[in-house]
Amino acid sequence: MGPRRILYFTAEDHYVYRAQGGSLELEAKFTGDDLGVTAFREHLRGQRRALYAVLADLAGEDFHEEAIPYLRGADRDAVIQRRLAQRYRDTRLATALSLGQALAGERRNERLLLTSFTNTQQLAPWLDALEEAGTRLSGVYSVPLLAPALAARLGVKRERALIVAATRAGLRQCFVDQNRLRFARLERTVEMVPQALAMFVRSETQRLLQYLVTLRALPREGAPVQALVICPPGQRAVFEQALPSDSRVVFRTIDMAEAAKAVGLKRAPEGTAAEALYLHLTARKPPAEQFASREERRRFFVWQLQRGIVAAGALGFAGCALYGAAQWLAVIDTREQAAAARAAARQAQQQYERITAAFPVTQTSTENLRVTVVEFTRLARESALPEPAFVHVSQVLGKFPQMDLDALTWSIGRPAEAPAEKGKPARQGDLAVIVQISGRVNATQRNDYRAITGQVQSFAAALASAGYQLVRTQLPFDVTSEGTLSGDIGTGPDTGQAPRFTITIANSLP
Amino acid sequence: MRFTRDELKRLLLPVLIAAVLAGAGVFLLESAGEALAAAERELAAAQTERRQHAERLARIAEEEREVKQKLDVYQRLRELHILGEEQRLEWADAVTRIRKERELLDLRYRVDRQQQLFSATGKPANVDFYASRMSVDLALLHEEDLLRFLSDLRDSGNAFYSVRRCAVERTGQAATGVSIAPRLRASCEIDLITIMDRAAKS
Repeated sequence: MGPRRILYFTAEDHYVYRAQGGSLELEAKFTGDDLGVTAFREHLRGQRRALYAVLADLAGEDFHEEAIPYLRGADRDAVIQRRLAQRYRDTRLATALSLGQALAGERRNERLLLTSFTNTQQLAPWLDALEEAGTRLSGVYSVPLLAPALAARLGVKRERALIVAATRAGLRQCFVDQNRLRFARLERTVEMVPQALAMFVRSETQRLLQYLVTLRALPREGAPVQALVICPPGQRAVFEQALPSDSRVVFRTIDMAEAAKAVGLKRAPEGTAAEALYLHLTARKPPAEQFASREERRRFFVWQLQRGIVAAGALGFAGCALYGAAQWLAVIDTREQAAAARAAARQAQQQYERITAAFPVTQTSTENLRVTVVEFTRLARESALPEPAFVHVSQVLGKFPQMDLDALTWSIGRPAEAPAEKGKPARQGDLAVIVQISGRVNATQRNDYRAITGQVQSFAAALASAGYQLVRTQLPFDVTSEGTLSGDIGTGPDTGQAPRFTITIANSLP
Repeated sequence: MRFTRDELKRLLLPVLIAAVLAGAGVFLLESAGEALAAAERELAAAQTERRQHAERLARIAEEEREVKQKLDVYQRLRELHILGEEQRLEWADAVTRIRKERELLDLRYRVDRQQQLFSATGKPANVDFYASRMSVDLALLHEEDLLRFLSDLRDSGNAFYSVRRCAVERTGQAATGVSIAPRLRASCEIDLITIMDRAAKS
């Protein structure tokens, strides 16, 4: 951050301080007359676009409390300007400080502290010089306007307090209530010994308290008011001795060096008094309320806007850069994970190759080897030899010598292709060995239907063993209710032809 | 608040700087986003590769056991020439030899055109199964002749012989003491199955 210059304005002399990095440096001193203004103009030559603030430490500063209707925006501004114009003849350096809201019956009001200098003309040529030099005026402040900020830095909470300090201009007393300025006065001092200054502080504090009670800014009866006295360096003991507390006021003293440390002031020029604290606050933490008009601060506003735009761009870039950096960290992490995964894949591949290298030599790929054997095994399972069926039929025939076979057909197929025996459904769909046997029944009279049927059924039952199932039996005579039964008993000659039958059995393939 | 021309000029450079900074920030974000997307794609591919290799490695023990188990069958199929091109001349020779050795009275056969049974998906090439249907008519003195013929045929190799149907019936001829007359006739249908492994090394 670049240096800021503060024009410290007293009734007699005016000083230009250069504030940078917590240090104050006296740059120039000017007399309060026309010669001083001329010298100031000369001083400003070559300081175009320098940052300036004005800190007035004058006795003639008016404070007046007003209440206005609670408003916002342009309406509030208009009311305030009207009140300022009613109160002050010259409103160039007049401002209103909000003291908060107050209820007046049904209506809500805002309490204001109107303040201005009784003689603004003494400031005008100096402000004009700043304007003409093209400097950037951040604001015109008075010491009382900075008192709440100083009080807060020195540990004063929200209670009522008097901030008392000796500046180049005199003894400055500021009354702060709820961290808001209520009143201030400046009493001129002459060179005096510490004891005398302390006694003067005591008497002036008593007078101010009396005045504030008169103004009803303080209750007549109530808790004692704290008076925080900033003592010149090394004189705190003297002040403590001279400032005993009583029922109306509690004095608290603080050494100037300690106060400087509390506000962050690292270095101040020789000869500066408590105004150094106010100067430092003007440079580092100026309050929003000040006396300069919008037009007088226009260059400063444009400068702020310039910095704000660049700062917004920089902030955006920083945000993007931060997010981008996080993204890049994720990229690095993801790439590392990918590299690790690839390494693991390579390792698995190498291990696989080592194992497969030790495999027995095959003339084909592992997959084709598997497919060939699996499919061939399936085909082989669906195949069979006729021999077991022939043996089975032969063994059963040995038990039925009256049966004479004409034909035997062995095949592989599905039993469903042949009609199933009633009450014995064949397993549909499975491949099976199907044996169809055609033959004749000998040694039984042809017209003995019952005997022939019984023998064929016994034969079929014998065949349906050893894993074979009966699929179909075609008897020599149709004895079912659906068929036609005919007979020619004892009248015709015997043809000698034995009754024929057909039996089909099946054995499922494994 | 209205800005003068001079003030607007003063604001131009900060606006440009802010725009450049914002543009650089957006570029940074986009490039980071693209890099991250590429890295994520790379990671997904690497993870897939790792998973596939790991799964293959996990299967290797089973594969090894399977190869050892199936290799014997495969070798046997090769030795029997079931794997490879059809050997029709060998089949004809085998039938002639069996007829002669078994002194079969009458034997007629016909082998139909080869047909593909199915094609099994393999890697790197398919395995095709073919069948040629052989129809055989035999005159038999005894049913044992048929069983011996089928057994000899099976032992001759050069195909897998899958008997589909065999019908045996009496000829009705009575035995005489002068000449040997067949008592039975058999007709069979046999699939001669061969396998073509397109990935097999010759």
